[in-house]
Amino acid sequence: VRPEWPEPGSVPARRPGASGVPLDDNLAIYDDVGQLLILLNRTAAGVWERCDGSATFEEMVQGLVESHAATPEVIAHDAWETVRKLAELGLVVDAAEQG
Amino acid sequence: VVSGDHWAHHTPSLNGLSYRFAVRTDDERLGRHLDSLLAGLRAPGPVDHWYSVTAAVDGGYDVTRDDEPVALAQHPGDAAGWLVWDVNRLTAEAGGAHLLFHAAGVAAGGTGMVLPGPSGSGKSTLCAGLARAGLSYLSDELVALELDTGRLLPYAKPITIKAGSFAALRALGPPAGSGSGDAEAWAGDEWAGEERLLPVGGAAVAVGRPCEPGFIVVPRYEKGAPTRLAPLSATEAFVALAVNAVNFKAHGTVGTDALGALVARCECVALTMSDLGEACRLVEDLVGRGAAERGAGRAS
Repeated sequence: VRPEWPEPGSVPARRPGASGVPLDDNLAIYDDVGQLLILLNRTAAGVWERCDGSATFEEMVQGLVESHAATPEVIAHDAWETVRKLAELGLVVDAAEQG
Repeated sequence: VVSGDHWAHHTPSLNGLSYRFAVRTDDERLGRHLDSLLAGLRAPGPVDHWYSVTAAVDGGYDVTRDDEPVALAQHPGDAAGWLVWDVNRLTAEAGGAHLLFHAAGVAAGGTGMVLPGPSGSGKSTLCAGLARAGLSYLSDELVALELDTGRLLPYAKPITIKAGSFAALRALGPPAGSGSGDAEAWAGDEWAGEERLLPVGGAAVAVGRPCEPGFIVVPRYEKGAPTRLAPLSATEAFVALAVNAVNFKAHGTVGTDALGALVARCECVALTMSDLGEACRLVEDLVGRGAAERGAGRAS
């Protein structure tokens, strides 16, 4: 994952093969490829759900700002950290770069 | 595999989650003991593997599987322990089509309960206490979730109780329905080594049938702590099952979905326990409340 990724124009997309199970306010995700089970809290699960390959990272943040009370700066920072972590785990790729 | 006829005793065909085996020994008395211990696994059908337990010249016992060595035990009780250990291991391999949990399991009224936990959590002792109280026994070691039906499958091996935990169980007395031989085993017997194997499947403890799950109880022994039940969130129950799943990776996303479905359909609680009798009463009450609620649901 490039150090600056995701950038405003990046298009985060969930990698096929990952299964999500809602639990309370959390989401358990199992990745068949990486054989990895992770738990996302509600905020991170919201970011995960938006990684559908249809919106740029900038648009994703805008959507989160409209549905959360925190400041846009905080939301942008948290969303960046979450998307990046998911990418490092191999669960999210850039749909634009994948073609 | 052909069994020789010089053996003093053969068990009937036995089956642990598709691991099919039988045991033969040249010690008639030990053979009867093994028969009693393994009664919960009796199932008509072919024998794929033969265990042989033979008295060695030095007074010990050789345990072999299909003529391959399993253990050399000094005591007949330890020979039984090694045999059960090997059966556990190969049952887990044979049952790989199911999602397997390192867990105990019991059932009441056709509704199953999974008690996941690592060694030392107290699940086997609790399971023995619940079986003694009349709940049907599924397993004290390995609970199988059938992926296509969501049912729990029994693996009714003998209950293994660590020597240090046995006093608490003995204080409760033998199972109400036990015959004299089983009662002796449950009271503590000459066969006991570091661990005690308690017979199931005979008069003492009924073995449950495949059943729908209704409860997840996560036990934790804590010396001196008040014995209590506390609600467990779906996330907590999911994690408790996932970390005790034996073959989670083998089933991947299918197993993840099955685990989520299991948690969603169960009442989930944590059980902290230091008093076995009180722990059993709390779990019996939980099961009784569940049955009453299901009955009320059907009536309305």
